[in-house]
Amino acid sequence: MIEEASAPPSPRWHSRLPPAAWLALVIIAALALLAGVKGPVEAGQATINGLVDAGYVALGAVGLTLIFGILRIINFAHGDFLTLGAYVALMIAASGLPIWLAAALAILVTAAVAAALDKLVWEPMRRMQTSTLQLLLAAIGIALVLRYTIQFFAGSQVRSFGQDILSAVNLGPWHLGTLQLVALLAGIALIVAVGLGLRFTAVGKQMRALSDNMALAEVTGIDTRGAIRLTWIVAGALAAIAGILYAAAVGTINPNFGSLILLSLFTAAVLGGIGNAYGALLGGIVIGLAQEWSTLFLNARWKPAVGFAILILTLLVLPRGIFGRVPART
Amino acid sequence: MTHSAGSPAPPILVVEDVHKSFGGVRAVAGASFALQRGAITALIGPNGAGKTTLFDLITGFAAPDAGAIRFEGKPIEGLPPHSVTRRGLVRTFQLTRVFAAMTVLDNMMLAGRGQPGEGLLQLIARRTAGQRVEGEVRERALAALHRFDLDGKAGDYAGTLSGGQRKLLELARALMTDPTLVLLDEPMAGVNRVLGSRLLDDVEELRRTAGMTFLFVEHDMDIVMRRADHVIVMAEGAVIAEGSPDAIRADPRVIDAYLGQARSRT
Amino acid sequence: MSILNADFWIGVGVIAGIYGIFALGLQLNVGLTGLLNLGQAGFMCIGAYAMGMLVVDAGWPILATLPVAIAAAVLAGVLVGLPSLRLRSDYFAIATIAFAEIVRYVLQNAAFAGGNQGIIGYDAEWRDFAAWASDRLAAIGLGEQMQLPLLFSIWLVFALCVAVLRWLRRTPWGRVLTAIREDEDAAAALGKNVLAFKLQSLAIAAALAAIAGFFLALNVTYLYPGEFDPTFTFFGYAVLILGGFASYGGVVLGTIVLWTLIEGLRFLDLPLSSGEVGSLRFVLVGLTLVVLSMARPQGLLGRRAEMQLRQ
Ligand SMILES: Nc1ncnc2c1ncn2[C@@H]1O[C@H](COP(=O)(O)OP(=O)(O)OP(=O)(O)O)[C@@H](O)[C@H]1O
Ligand SMILES: [Mg+2]
Repeated sequence: MIEEASAPPSPRWHSRLPPAAWLALVIIAALALLAGVKGPVEAGQATINGLVDAGYVALGAVGLTLIFGILRIINFAHGDFLTLGAYVALMIAASGLPIWLAAALAILVTAAVAAALDKLVWEPMRRMQTSTLQLLLAAIGIALVLRYTIQFFAGSQVRSFGQDILSAVNLGPWHLGTLQLVALLAGIALIVAVGLGLRFTAVGKQMRALSDNMALAEVTGIDTRGAIRLTWIVAGALAAIAGILYAAAVGTINPNFGSLILLSLFTAAVLGGIGNAYGALLGGIVIGLAQEWSTLFLNARWKPAVGFAILILTLLVLPRGIFGRVPART
Repeated sequence: MTHSAGSPAPPILVVEDVHKSFGGVRAVAGASFALQRGAITALIGPNGAGKTTLFDLITGFAAPDAGAIRFEGKPIEGLPPHSVTRRGLVRTFQLTRVFAAMTVLDNMMLAGRGQPGEGLLQLIARRTAGQRVEGEVRERALAALHRFDLDGKAGDYAGTLSGGQRKLLELARALMTDPTLVLLDEPMAGVNRVLGSRLLDDVEELRRTAGMTFLFVEHDMDIVMRRADHVIVMAEGAVIAEGSPDAIRADPRVIDAYLGQARSRT
Repeated sequence: MSILNADFWIGVGVIAGIYGIFALGLQLNVGLTGLLNLGQAGFMCIGAYAMGMLVVDAGWPILATLPVAIAAAVLAGVLVGLPSLRLRSDYFAIATIAFAEIVRYVLQNAAFAGGNQGIIGYDAEWRDFAAWASDRLAAIGLGEQMQLPLLFSIWLVFALCVAVLRWLRRTPWGRVLTAIREDEDAAAALGKNVLAFKLQSLAIAAALAAIAGFFLALNVTYLYPGEFDPTFTFFGYAVLILGGFASYGGVVLGTIVLWTLIEGLRFLDLPLSSGEVGSLRFVLVGLTLVVLSMARPQGLLGRRAEMQLRQ
């Protein structure tokens, strides 16, 4: 950590594809192995379930990692953005509007809340040159305010989208709830879309540049203030999408769900290398798959524990994550 | 404790073909030299030559990619910083690092070596010894502060010191660890000339009375020429020349790599 | 109920004392060593469960379990700290919160700890003692309040812990911790084994959490994992920022202020259900954290210079 300021930008533009392709190979190999050990039907089912989970973990983790990369904030409120998105969608849908419209409005509302928080809390704190500790406390405070405001209005009971959460489809030997199928397809499509957006759109490039090196981005004349606001909006929107996908995939939600899966989101972000948006997407896929694959061997109630184990192992063995970004050691 | 050129005493520090890269930047690339015991050696080189990185490598703040570092004949590469310091090799930082929310006196006392009061068990088991040592450390700290003209500041928070005063405090604090070899990273930067010259007098006196060895980074050639027994020149991560100040002054490679630059600056 | 009601204030005192002991450990870590420990609830959980299980499953006398409960939490602290203290401070924060979640998760799901039903029936001895103590207190006219023995015990221990920590702070040991908070590289350059001191700081915090867990168990009469979610740790941070960083007196003040505010909500006579009031409490704590971290991060008694935490 000596004179870190003189660090040159890490050479991350050296093509993102190889690690992703490498990861795909590992996943396919693992799948083949599992199919051999447990039979293709069971292994396939777990994989499908894993991809369903991957959608919301990956999309939730992108915002978390971008905010950390750009602002050095461990956003403990990020899980509660997911909760907010899911609840707003649910409330609007309950009032009779079509579900897609409810989802779109929920995304807007969550993005607006994220932007408002930036304006009210984070921007003033940036101007004050606050310490890590202050940022952390503010994030924790926002998390509590969001979570319990939701609980205040919606109650702490479990809720569902009200649609027939038991209807299901069969894909050959595999079985999937209708809502889960929607979550699966939407999740994969959105992961790809976000990945492409980060790579090819001006906004995506700008956010990656910021996340790489804030100081450098500032001198190269990027409008950092606007870009930061935009990052919050994107993070909020993606979190809302992730929350809605979660509600669709799991079927039921309560006001705590976001804070409970926050650790999975951290795991995906750390696994992908904190600050690395592509890494978070891929990390999310790994977490989703690993947790569901574990059910082939362990009781399903240990699923979250598998996520924790991956987090701890990553921190100990590969603190820069698979795709490397911010050094984790002092 | 003589330090004439022909002294047979083994070198106190040996650096052999040390390498360190950060990503694509080769900060130190094959640096080798030996430090004579009891000498005051200057390490010079243009900005970015790798001097500070070399200090980090020697004192355990970074691990070399390759190469060997021996202090008092024993390898120290890869040791954590506190172990290096406990062996008697202490360093200061180019960007000063004082404990801002501690008093100047506490900054000094912290650095005292072998304090029983720092162990949770010894706090109780060796209570009286701890109190005695604490008293001694305080005496020494106050004496050292007096020597560096900081005794008026003993009770102030270190964060209130000026840049030059922080440099002085850092040197004084490093000396509290009872070192045999002291690495100073630009100790004179920001210190006024009178005080800086006092500081160097003190360094010379410590060398004479306590036999300490010094290696210091300095950009001011006048100071280097007047004060150093020996000069090591780095450029682009390697040692390109070393010798007496006069020899260095005349060395065309050095003029090329460094002095020309320094002259055009001043 | 009137605001002068003794039961109300004794209840506030009990919970404030428990959170106070809990937050003393956080103060040592955050305010004096610069460690972002977010796993304090996990240590508390280990301490409380060690006590409960030793009494219920192994038939130990309740007081004899306290040292073991503390030792278990300290051991957990060392095991968590050894690998994670080498990480950057924000990664350490994530690692510790993960630890707390793992503890809660294991206790929720593992058969040995009673799962979600938790543990019950460990406090018979304590209730006997409390009844006995109430009899004595009746002699001086204080026999009405059943919680009084607990209140006295907690605040006695709380005061003792504050005294010990204050003394430690003035020792050379405390000086090294402060130096590590200020600049750990500089402390290492002066020969201090930073990792060892951080471990000791974390271990002592874990011990304090275990003591708090012991009293929490006595206060709630049965233990279940939901009691120990990370939110508990966040309340501890609210205590710190209210009272002030790097000040043990601040912890005492902070915990009293926090719990008077939270419990005092009920005097507002809001037309709300108990669930809504419960939510409101947390919103209040959250707002406290946000507003204070922006406006007065040093808290009521802290000094701003002492809360600079580096990356
Ligand atoms: N942590 C780091 N990460 C990346 N690059 C680094 C790091 N530390 C140093 N460098 C690079 O290594 C080279 C040598 O730097 P160093 O600080 O050692 O030079 P120096 O000789 O001390 O210069 P100066 O006289 O300006 O203090 C520089 O190019 C610097 O950018
Ligand atoms: Mg330098």
